[in-house]
Amino acid sequence: MRNLWPALLCLLAACGGNFSNEDLEYLNALPSREALASKLPGTDTSSGSGLAQRRDRLVVGDISQLYIDTRKASADFNASLDSLLGLLENIRTVPPTTREPDRRTWGPWPDRNQPGHQVRFLMDRAGDSFDYRLQFKPSAAGEEAWWSFLEGSFKADAGIRVGEGELHLFIDDAVAQGLNVGGLRGLKQLDVGYQNKALPTRVEMIFSAQPTPPLTTATQVRYNYRELPGGLGEMRFLLTDTDAVPGNLREDVEITSRWTPNSGGVATFVILQGDLLGASYRECWDAQNKVTFAKRSWELFGIGKGSDCPDLSGFDG
Amino acid sequence: MRTRRHLGALALALLLATTVQAEPMRRFALVIGNDEGGSDTRPLSYAREDARKMHGLLSRLGGVSLGDARLLLNEEAQDVLTTLSNLEASIKAAQARGERTALLVYYSGHAKDGALRLGVTRLPFDTFKRRLADAPADIRIAILDSCRSGALTRTKGARRAPAFEIDSGATRDARGLVILTSSSADEDSQESDAIGGSYFSHHLSSGLLGDADCSGDGQVTLFEAYSHAYARTVADTAASSAGPQHPTFSYDLAGNGDLVITSLRASEGLVVPRTAPVGAYYFVNPGGLVVAELEKAPDTERRVALAPGTYRVKRRMEDRLRIGEVEVRRGQETVLEESRLRDAPFSDDPVKGARGRGSFWTAGLTGGYHSFFNRSIRETLFLSVPMLGAEANLHNYFREDWVWSFDVALGGRAAMLNLESLTGASYRYSALHLGTSLTTEWHVGDLAPFAGARLTYLYMGRKFDGAVFPDQFYSTFSPGLVAGLRYRLLRSLHLTGRGRIHYLTYNVHEQGAANPNSSLGFWELAALVTYEL
Repeated sequence: MRNLWPALLCLLAACGGNFSNEDLEYLNALPSREALASKLPGTDTSSGSGLAQRRDRLVVGDISQLYIDTRKASADFNASLDSLLGLLENIRTVPPTTREPDRRTWGPWPDRNQPGHQVRFLMDRAGDSFDYRLQFKPSAAGEEAWWSFLEGSFKADAGIRVGEGELHLFIDDAVAQGLNVGGLRGLKQLDVGYQNKALPTRVEMIFSAQPTPPLTTATQVRYNYRELPGGLGEMRFLLTDTDAVPGNLREDVEITSRWTPNSGGVATFVILQGDLLGASYRECWDAQNKVTFAKRSWELFGIGKGSDCPDLSGFDG
Repeated sequence: MRTRRHLGALALALLLATTVQAEPMRRFALVIGNDEGGSDTRPLSYAREDARKMHGLLSRLGGVSLGDARLLLNEEAQDVLTTLSNLEASIKAAQARGERTALLVYYSGHAKDGALRLGVTRLPFDTFKRRLADAPADIRIAILDSCRSGALTRTKGARRAPAFEIDSGATRDARGLVILTSSSADEDSQESDAIGGSYFSHHLSSGLLGDADCSGDGQVTLFEAYSHAYARTVADTAASSAGPQHPTFSYDLAGNGDLVITSLRASEGLVVPRTAPVGAYYFVNPGGLVVAELEKAPDTERRVALAPGTYRVKRRMEDRLRIGEVEVRRGQETVLEESRLRDAPFSDDPVKGARGRGSFWTAGLTGGYHSFFNRSIRETLFLSVPMLGAEANLHNYFREDWVWSFDVALGGRAAMLNLESLTGASYRYSALHLGTSLTTEWHVGDLAPFAGARLTYLYMGRKFDGAVFPDQFYSTFSPGLVAGLRYRLLRSLHLTGRGRIHYLTYNVHEQGAANPNSSLGFWELAALVTYEL
């Protein structure tokens, strides 16, 4: 009999659970890396070591430097998503602490990574629209002290994490509240907007950096990623402080890369700052990521044949 | 009539004086126990157990070597005849070596309509008796503990009293057939939970252990055992609802001499000394069952051939009990010392009766279907699934015809989410049920409808393909009701159809919101094949 009650308590403790359809709908509103990541063909296998010094002489058959730049941008894009969405990943692993009508709350809990702070995650629902907030407050402060480090919204469209959403990371607020933001310290805010309910899908990421004296306004870096029918993809990004063309200055260039699933891609860049301001460059590569055609706007002839560039008519629709 | 009986007893006493010991006799035994008697009978509780006891007793005290004893439990008529043939072959071989032989056949089970009922098979009395009459053994003894078994002795030599006549021309070495039955031709043989067996077999066994040794010579003869069993059976059943049960005795013997059935070895067992108080002694095993009784007369030493073990001893007095404990050691004679007994109120009676006696286990496999009543729930949350499982059932443990069951069942299937704002997520749904039921059943021939209550621990979970969502589970206890019908397909094989309904509380929902799905119910239908262990 002495052992009976502990045994019964153990059994009772095994009651309950997290089996809930509604919880799944809330969790479905949180974006995942898989849903938003850029999918550049050959990312895992192609050679090259990332951004490198441009060579004056390019020949057909060389590995496309713009492909390498695109791959680097794609990796940076995905890494940024990882660090941002990682904040939400933990939410998926634990059931909500509180279930209220049209609201789920996780926490509050003391944040072991932010000593002296409590963290909670709120999700509100109105039909198929969801808003969510990752909030912190000093442990000793009252309820009115909660402030949002991350805010997002999502409008569901039936499928798994399919819909339209946005999320914002308020890094300058976090720094002001004494939160340790690690490698994000140089940023002011990170904004992501996406739409993946229908092709072409869209993911836009904007990094707003803290102003660098003597400048007083924040600088922005944008990544725009699109995925089109047939495995076509597009990444538009800004490459700063690079040696894009011969000259004494270093350049800021905007690169637009478009690729096919298995027959290479095309990239163009436009010089926004530096030598040859306004000049542009077009480079095509094949399925092995080797240059098939390249032409600078200030040169009469390029290398290779323009007809060897892949068919990108799918982007015109 | 009384005079005639006294003459018979005198003749018997003379007979006892010449108890057969002139030459060694090799003994063979066929012991049969069968709880089942076919569709028109109700299963017995203790027939097999009585057979086990008799087999052990004959092997330990009856001079039957283990190699010459056969124990058949719940076997069919053909098995009995085959085993009997095998024993007869052994008997012939022994006789060819010049040995005298005796064959003892004990049967505990159903008898009806002129036949022994062995499960669904029958062994007609005539066939059985003819086989015994034709058996090659010098002495053949049949002891039948079954309803209306007296029909076997009615045609010849039946007596409703322990007295019987001895042929005046009998020669010294007895040869022939003796039949003992537990009841007359129109009586039922009764079992008792209090003694954990049939009245007749209990008193026969108790007598063979020593209570029937009226002569005090340390040997229990067939006549002593029968006389004892007769008197005690009649006395114990006189007040029963079925009325008194009268054992019968039939003999067709040539020669003279009574057969010693058990020898109470002086080197082992319990001795109740001459100085011990008179009265009725009961020896109770650790299970609370009386294994032997003894009526102690003044100035006599009595011996009870208890098997080694620990027993509680009870002597009933007018206003109280005297109880104590005694340990019978192997190979040692143990003397019961009155000083080791103490006074106790009747409420401390160590005899508990046959709690758990007659109980047996069945084990089986189930296949069924499980579904919630609420359509929305069964289509989107806790899905309808086929279930496979196993069960173990303990019959007659708490009381007769009650069944305590333990079951486990597993089910599952692949499914796809289809919610308001979320579709297309595929997952694997699984359900685990651990349950226990307490049911009572009613026997109608081979059919046994049953109904009862149960408690199940439910575990339901789902795992999403590609881990697109975290695994989910819900577990709870769920009370329910069960009812069904069991059909005896074969002797030890049962087929059961069963339905269950359950209630459970689902509490993973929003606080402060009226949730219509808090109280849920589900049903299960299953078929079950069980085997009696």
